Amino acid sequence: MKHPLDRANINNAWCPGCGNFGILKLIEEVLTELELDAKNIVIVAGIGQSSKTPYYIDTNMFSGLHGRALPVATAIKVSNPSLTVIAEGGDGDMYGEGGNHFMHTIRRNPDIVHIVHNNMVYGLTQGQASPTSQKGFKTPVQVRGVESEPFNPISVALALRAGFVARVNIGNYEHAKIVLKEAFLHKGYALVDIFQPCVVFNKVNTYRWFKDNTYELESTYKNNNLASAMEKALEVEPMPIGILYKSLSSTFEDHQRGENKKPLFEMKHDLKKLQTLFDQY
Amino acid sequence: MSKEKLESEHFNTIDDSPIKLAEGKKEESASQNESISILIGGAAGAGIMSLENVLTDAFKRCGYFVFSTKEYMSRVRGGSNTTLLRISNVPICAPCWQVDIFIALDAEALEHVQERLGPTTIVLADESIKDETLTMTAMPMLEAVREVGNVRYANAYVAGVLFAMFSLDKQKLSKSIEILFQEQSPEENETAMQEGFSYGTSLRSVEMPKHLSSLVHDPKKMHLLNGSSAAGFGFLLGGCNMITSYPMSPSTGVLNFMASMSNEFEIVVEQSEDEIASLNMVLGGWYSGARAMTSTSGGGFALMTEAISLSGVSETPAVVYLAQRPGPATGLPTRTEQGDLNLAIHSGHGYFGRIVLAPGDLQECIDYAYLAVELADRYQMPVIYMSDQYLADSIAMMSDLDFSKYEQRRYLQKTEASYNRYSLKDGAISPRGVPGFGEGLIVSSSHEHDERGQSTESYHTREQMQKKRQEKIERSIEEAFAPKVIGQGDIAIIGWGSTEAVIEEVLKVLNDARLFQVHFSWVHPLNPEHLNVLKEAKTIIVIENNTIGDFADILKVHDVNIDHRILQSNGFAFFTDLLEVKLSKILKEIR
Repeated sequence: MKHPLDRANINNAWCPGCGNFGILKLIEEVLTELELDAKNIVIVAGIGQSSKTPYYIDTNMFSGLHGRALPVATAIKVSNPSLTVIAEGGDGDMYGEGGNHFMHTIRRNPDIVHIVHNNMVYGLTQGQASPTSQKGFKTPVQVRGVESEPFNPISVALALRAGFVARVNIGNYEHAKIVLKEAFLHKGYALVDIFQPCVVFNKVNTYRWFKDNTYELESTYKNNNLASAMEKALEVEPMPIGILYKSLSSTFEDHQRGENKKPLFEMKHDLKKLQTLFDQY
Repeated sequence: MSKEKLESEHFNTIDDSPIKLAEGKKEESASQNESISILIGGAAGAGIMSLENVLTDAFKRCGYFVFSTKEYMSRVRGGSNTTLLRISNVPICAPCWQVDIFIALDAEALEHVQERLGPTTIVLADESIKDETLTMTAMPMLEAVREVGNVRYANAYVAGVLFAMFSLDKQKLSKSIEILFQEQSPEENETAMQEGFSYGTSLRSVEMPKHLSSLVHDPKKMHLLNGSSAAGFGFLLGGCNMITSYPMSPSTGVLNFMASMSNEFEIVVEQSEDEIASLNMVLGGWYSGARAMTSTSGGGFALMTEAISLSGVSETPAVVYLAQRPGPATGLPTRTEQGDLNLAIHSGHGYFGRIVLAPGDLQECIDYAYLAVELADRYQMPVIYMSDQYLADSIAMMSDLDFSKYEQRRYLQKTEASYNRYSLKDGAISPRGVPGFGEGLIVSSSHEHDERGQSTESYHTREQMQKKRQEKIERSIEEAFAPKVIGQGDIAIIGWGSTEAVIEEVLKVLNDARLFQVHFSWVHPLNPEHLNVLKEAKTIIVIENNTIGDFADILKVHDVNIDHRILQSNGFAFFTDLLEVKLSKILKEIR
């Protein structure tokens, strides 16, 4: 079961049966099939069980703070647009702690792939509600069950006119792979929210539950219409999976760097010009 | 630069000796007797700032040294603000409390500055403003500028009055108005200035408090700028090519400056959603090879502290421009204080190194901004550059500067396949690679990690890595800059950051052979050897613009005995005349 992109000599810390194993394999296979060079890939992660993923894939990695992968990833991409940049984390990380960055990264539209492991529970801190936990879900903290409305990342992303909005279920592996590949090929910000079970702390939203509560978008579905995408995004029981919306617009790197996409480390300021500007003072 | 060319580039390593700064030209500073001070008061939005710009520019054109500083309320319109100008024939760089001339643009201004008017102060106000308690010279200002078309032209009128009173060259003032008002009715402003000038001519009989002696320098060789712009030039000189900030007074001047320069240079400028994003972007930038910075003030910096800690553990360089204002929380948003030193030194959880710099004058504003970027790169740690509202917003003059003298270093390595980001084989500072340059992978981690960057809970590795971070601190202490020592004596007057010029001027005025000045611009970490100069002093007086003397406490930890502290935390910078009184009182006791 070893994959060439597996990092050597590591000790995987996930529980047996964890949905993260599927996502790890998914990312490795998609990167390989797209023939991307590991040296030019950076995975930026926050903190959480899902954020351990880049410690297991042999690419560049920046493992940062809880909730803060997106601003790091945005800056990495603009500093060197030739890199393939992934921001990865869980539902608590990306939609809770990092909620503000989620909104504003969509507005900026950097050309990055945003992978969110969505298991509707906090795994690392052992079983509290996450922003996507369903109402009524009981935990050691939410003892009467979750009372807040679950966060819907898909409708939020659409409301902000994200250029690529998708949801998949890791239990539906081949479908997930097609969608994730498309996300990498999209030029601009691409959200892929991945349903995944936490086999230890979420006994409600299991592999079975995700299977029963999702359906693949019909082949006739047109993903270029924001209004119909929004309608789909609001559907529950079952929830649609697939690419809900796709549209192209200029990226953060286009705005910041224009035609010059050279890595910033290859550049230096012209001191003569700086001297001239100073001399005007 | 092509990739091939880049590969043949020389890259720096920690084995290169640390950067040394060229000795700046230091000219004689003025005592108050050799200068004239003009205070202008009016509401926000009335254009005092344009008046400040025009007058500083015009006085410079006439060959004078100019210093100007403002105090303003946290509002865009209304209220009562002042700008203080000091003009001299020798360099001048500090404010005074009592003024020679006061110009009130409205009645509120009179009330606002009453305490700053002495028996000899000449007060000029519009004839419509009445105050029986003061001897005032009433100007027909409003009537004249209404005739020109708008009360906004009062500023140009006032400039004209002043130039006439001082018998200065009107042409030079016209030039300044032409340039600085080019987008705001230049002709009307010129007319208003002429009106003011002809009125001002009639005031020449008013006895002037002092006269400026003949000119001593060539204004063309001097540069007139504020602390924000000077810092901005320094950051660019350090190769900074990314700034990600959330606007916050009084730090925004640097963000604005860098944004304006992004039309001329390749600089990524992004207004982030919050300060947390700002500093995380800075780390992403450095990780991927940019030379990135953020600008903020105390409240925003408080939000950044987790990322400061991330910079520490991941050994990702970071530069933070921290312009202080008085807290706690929102505090006094538009005023000044040196209250965040401990916040900077202790920011972030866990044990790691950082460098804190606090420039004292314009030359240092440039030098230390350049250094901040250099040092962050050299030691792979956060560098915090501390300014404050006073230093950031004050306009002063500095000598000419040759930018080609600033070495452009880059501490990078083209990686090999076996590259380990936290390798211990070359000492505590592991060569830094960036993704996509070489064969290696760059694995950076916020967890405790091994040499590869993989997270680990091995207690052996933990101890090794703590030691690595400790050794980086020791290296930075070894290479720290010594404080500036001016004069000889047995009473040391100590300051840090923005108080340098005011202390220098006061010592000059006191002319007491017992006094010498020790000024710290590299404020953390301190090298104990640099403190020996203090241990020889009989008396030590620390001057700080904060409540309890944060820097004095740090010196005490280093076994420096502090005898007196002159402190204030009222939102103002120190004023030369008031500081002189306070210091004299202490000196009398020492006698």
